[in-house]
Amino acid sequence: MSFLSLVVKNPFRNKTRTALAVMGIAIGIATIVALGIITDGLKSSTEETLKAGGSDFMVVESNVSDMMFSSIDEERLSDLKNTSGIQDVVGVLLAVYPINNNPYFAVMGINADKLSVGEISLIEGRGFSENKDEIIIGKAASQKTGKKVEDTLEISGKKFKITGIYETGDLQQDGGVFMSLDELQELEKKDDKLTMIFAKIDKDADLEDVTDRIDNTYTNELMTVKSLEDLGKVESGLKTINTASWAISLLAIIIGGIGVVNTMIMSVYERTREIGVLKAVGWTNRRILAMILGESLVLTLVAAVVGIAMGLVAVQLLIPLGLEGFIEPVYKMETFLKAIGIALFVGLIGGFYPAYRASRLAPTEALRYE
Amino acid sequence: MNNENIIEIRELKKSFENGTIKALDGINLEIKRGEYVSIIGPSGSGKSTLLNMIGALDRANEGEIKVAGYDLSKMRDLNRFRSQEIGFIFQLHNLIPNITVLENVEIPMYEINYSSKEMRKRAMELLEYVELLDKMKRKPTALSGGERQRVAIARALANNPSIILADEPTGSLDSRTGQMILQRLKSLHEKENVTLIMVTHDMNVASMAERTIEVLDGKIVQN
Ligand SMILES: Nc1ncnc2c1ncn2[C@@H]1O[C@H](COP(=O)(O)OP(=O)(O)O)[C@@H](O)[C@H]1O
Ligand SMILES: [Mg+2]
Repeated sequence: MSFLSLVVKNPFRNKTRTALAVMGIAIGIATIVALGIITDGLKSSTEETLKAGGSDFMVVESNVSDMMFSSIDEERLSDLKNTSGIQDVVGVLLAVYPINNNPYFAVMGINADKLSVGEISLIEGRGFSENKDEIIIGKAASQKTGKKVEDTLEISGKKFKITGIYETGDLQQDGGVFMSLDELQELEKKDDKLTMIFAKIDKDADLEDVTDRIDNTYTNELMTVKSLEDLGKVESGLKTINTASWAISLLAIIIGGIGVVNTMIMSVYERTREIGVLKAVGWTNRRILAMILGESLVLTLVAAVVGIAMGLVAVQLLIPLGLEGFIEPVYKMETFLKAIGIALFVGLIGGFYPAYRASRLAPTEALRYE
Repeated sequence: MNNENIIEIRELKKSFENGTIKALDGINLEIKRGEYVSIIGPSGSGKSTLLNMIGALDRANEGEIKVAGYDLSKMRDLNRFRSQEIGFIFQLHNLIPNITVLENVEIPMYEINYSSKEMRKRAMELLEYVELLDKMKRKPTALSGGERQRVAIARALANNPSIILADEPTGSLDSRTGQMILQRLKSLHEKENVTLIMVTHDMNVASMAERTIEVLDGKIVQN
């Protein structure tokens, strides 16, 4: 038998204790995995919105805590369009209404002639016309509400006729509707206001130059968003989740670490005499240290596998509880590697002290232990 | 047989609890290669402490101790000495319960550069020697007390030691099984010419040896 297989076998001598320790660490790992998958999903859906319609960057009101609260004067649309380096701009007003049982149904206002610029491709029917109470509905929203072309949808007490169904691949867009910008401004009582402007730059223009110019010209009024990092300034929600995810990871490390220390100290204590015998047959302190540390790593590696499985199940259970349509889980290798890395780290730090103690046991005293 | 001393001990002292317990109080002893010696004395007289000194499980406070050509008081790495020169047999609880009998016999071989295959082969030979080859796949808990001690003998022989140290090896066995184990150790000593030192507090057990040393209060009272 190899030394490694002895190390792998040993933690399963006391099955109950090992199972308890594994569960304790696995719960932490599961939380890290589930949060990672959901955060990545949130990031990717935000990223999709950011690059909506193949735009290069987005402009929102500066210093707002959430993109939803952004409000820009519509006249800025033409100002931006005339900025050098800008090829085209699309203004969007965003609103949410409770429709059916979805409390956050997205309604987006856009000029009818800009639909093609926004790369909103219809898969059925035709686009809406201005000022005729017409809308087009996203594929996902259509499936959820059961509304099809020619049906009517009531938004804020007003009836709209569905003229087409579109699909963009963006979760948030496909879960909502587009209507004429003027009509939404009227409905929202936000005349000449936009939530955001999507901009496309000229082929030979430099993105940094263009965005810097806008940021400098409209300081305290507008802000350009090129990436998720920029968005971090706006999206405090994403930031909160990130912080929470790190705090939970840290908590998992601490709780898991204490669990490992406890389990391994108990295990070493129970095997005092055995460790004395191992020393008597010539085992070096280093080998004893390696054995106990190895056992601790086996424990946390098993916990990592169990925890990842639990995390995946948790995501499947959580999504239907109100996240559907907002977030599509994103499974990144990094999430799993981080989970395994944290588990191994916990195994190393939690196992070190018990392993050191075991290696330092005086053999004669260990052999006297009953 | 040659007359070379395999063990030479001069004025060896060992105390515990900050010197309040004098477990060994000036031991002088010489043992020849291939001898079968028993150490007898009442409980607490220092027998195990003396055996542990010979097996380099602990260091003395004073005196000289030379075993198999090594000056133990001057040596830094005692593990290697132990694994190559000494085979220990204890009274009880000395096998690892969750691994097989065969794997238990392999345990001391990790410190020697054996391959897994060589380890297995050697362990099987030793189990054949103690007539337990048919039970090599069992866990120690499935064996009788006598069988477990035979496994312990096989394990003690794993690295071909020059000295076997047995601390009350029959202490937890019934007398018939104990006699069988003693016979086995004796024949091992006779056939393999291994030096055998056995601690006991039982006069009958001690009488099987060629030479008996009596210890009392950390001193040798009869040699
Ligand atoms: N590690 C130790 N710590 C404290 N006291 C010890 C230790 N080892 C032995 N002793 C004491 O030393 C004396 C001799 O012990 P020991 O050699 O085990 O005796 P024996 O084997 O003859 O019964 C006893 O009084 C015992 O309590
Ligand atoms: Mg004793």
